[in-house]
Amino acid sequence: MTTVDVMNLFVSAVLLAGVYAAMSVGMTIIYGVMKIVNLAHAGFLMLGAYFVFELYTQFHVDPLIGALLAFPVFFSLGVGIHWLLIRRIPRSDQPTLTSLLLLFGLWLVLQNLGYLIWGNADRAILTPRTFSTLQIGPIIFPTIRLVVFGAAVASLLALEFVLHKTWFGRAVRALMQNSDAGRLVGVNVEGTARVAFGVGIAFAGTAGGLLAMMYSFTPDFGGSFLLRAFVIIVLGGLESFAGVAIGSLILALVETFSILAIPAGYQPAIAFSLLVLALVILPEGVAGLWNKRQRWT
Amino acid sequence: MTDATATSKATISKLIPVAAPLALLAVLAAFPLLGPGPNGIRLLFVTLVWVTTSVAWNLLGGFAGQVSFGFAVFYGLGAYSTAMSLNAGLDRPVSLLIGAAVAVTASLFIGLPTFRLRGPYFAIATIGVSEAVRVVMTNVAVTGGASGYRLSEHGNFNQLLHFYTALSVAVIAVAVSIFVRRSKFGLALVAIREDEDAASDLGVNPFRTKLLAHALAAALTGAAGGVYTGYAAFIYPQGVFGFDISVAILLMPIIGGVGTVWGPVVGALVYGFVHEELIASFPQLHLLLYGSLLILIILFEPGGVMGLLGKIVRFARSRSGRGAHS
Repeated sequence: MTTVDVMNLFVSAVLLAGVYAAMSVGMTIIYGVMKIVNLAHAGFLMLGAYFVFELYTQFHVDPLIGALLAFPVFFSLGVGIHWLLIRRIPRSDQPTLTSLLLLFGLWLVLQNLGYLIWGNADRAILTPRTFSTLQIGPIIFPTIRLVVFGAAVASLLALEFVLHKTWFGRAVRALMQNSDAGRLVGVNVEGTARVAFGVGIAFAGTAGGLLAMMYSFTPDFGGSFLLRAFVIIVLGGLESFAGVAIGSLILALVETFSILAIPAGYQPAIAFSLLVLALVILPEGVAGLWNKRQRWT
Repeated sequence: MTDATATSKATISKLIPVAAPLALLAVLAAFPLLGPGPNGIRLLFVTLVWVTTSVAWNLLGGFAGQVSFGFAVFYGLGAYSTAMSLNAGLDRPVSLLIGAAVAVTASLFIGLPTFRLRGPYFAIATIGVSEAVRVVMTNVAVTGGASGYRLSEHGNFNQLLHFYTALSVAVIAVAVSIFVRRSKFGLALVAIREDEDAASDLGVNPFRTKLLAHALAAALTGAAGGVYTGYAAFIYPQGVFGFDISVAILLMPIIGGVGTVWGPVVGALVYGFVHEELIASFPQLHLLLYGSLLILIILFEPGGVMGLLGKIVRFARSRSGRGAHS
């Protein structure tokens, strides 16, 4: 294996990490604010993929614009689902049996609605961009991955801006750190939770659309990404946005380079092994390591 | 109302919890004598396997409040290791024990890293574990990989043998559940479910307690998988490690009523008898229906069938009580 090969793998890992980050950040927001593990995340990824697919095949909307359109649509969907289901379960500082089972049920419903509407045939979005590549020196960039990476990073930067420069963002960060203290200083918990849930679902929908440009999909699409998203947010320490970026990079690097050593059939087991490893070695995630260092110094 | 009738009423209401399960057991044991035909026995056999898994899930999910989405791992590992032991010539009870032991080992593998931590780690890990194990089993050559594993049985096929094996394992599961519910261990589990901090302040070790409940549940589920294999004689990864197995195992106790002894049994009986019909009439839709059912139960009647029955009984009592006073 030459240096160029390693460079190529590294580049593709970094490009993959961008998409992974966009995919996991929605879960982090929802967990951070509401302490709910969004098990239905996979269902929304899948719906996002089909949303972009339908727009492209029916109305010839460019998938990139489709993914952008998915944001407001899935935001409304998220707010609606919060109103219909989520606000009815008791609030807690810990994920409860109730919230886990409710969102698991929602996932089953979404997934099988998908089967009902679109059947189980593999779909893919093929545009002229899909197979083109861009060569810079000896390194080859698949165009579609570059585009998807750009879109993912742009959406993460927009989120970062909202979290740090708006009152909604401050409320979200306050609730993530301490929901009781947040309420004491006048944060509207119910309203913030509703919008945060909407934003989380919106990110899931958009990320689903972006993933659909790179992979073929069925209504079972999100399942393997759900586990990856878990691994990423556990690596990132569950509630940290910087942690999500680092977690995405770690997972993408491990997955990309493990192809060299582990047969492709075992790939889905890698994410799980990494999860167990992370739980044993870094239970507070990479961010926890950072905090520990700060405590020592 | 005289004292005598009052006392007899009191003894009757005390007797019901003892007599009703015994009557149910007697009916189940005598069921094959009533001439239900092979298909009827098969349906009841499958239902009894479900009763075992449902009661097992409830030990951890219901009593201790630790939701697992991955019980198919124990079911599948139990099924495979029992099949391999039977093929190696070991007799049935030993093979079932080996199936249970392998499942317990797997439960430690999941529980040791996750139960130490507070938060959603356990539930998260269980989502991945059955997928990971299924993938590995699909690729392992020893067990035939994706094409499945065949049990070569010696002697004639005896359906009743399998039926009574399933019945015994289900009875053991319910007995374990009753015992746990009444023991200090069971109280510790409930304490952990209600408030883990308070429980550990009172001297409960949450880590060890959860680990033990998980192992116990895994052993019963593994044995149930083994019982099923003995009957089916052919297993494949998608069939025993499938996601829908995990869904079924968690759905049954929730239908019946989590955290009670008899709720999971009722849930499994309902599921066992309805599932076959449902899957025949709506092959695509049954998971959609189960998902909707899960949402509805969680939102409107978290107590399941048992909770609903309790409400009806209380309502009827308050009605009759008011009638007596007026």
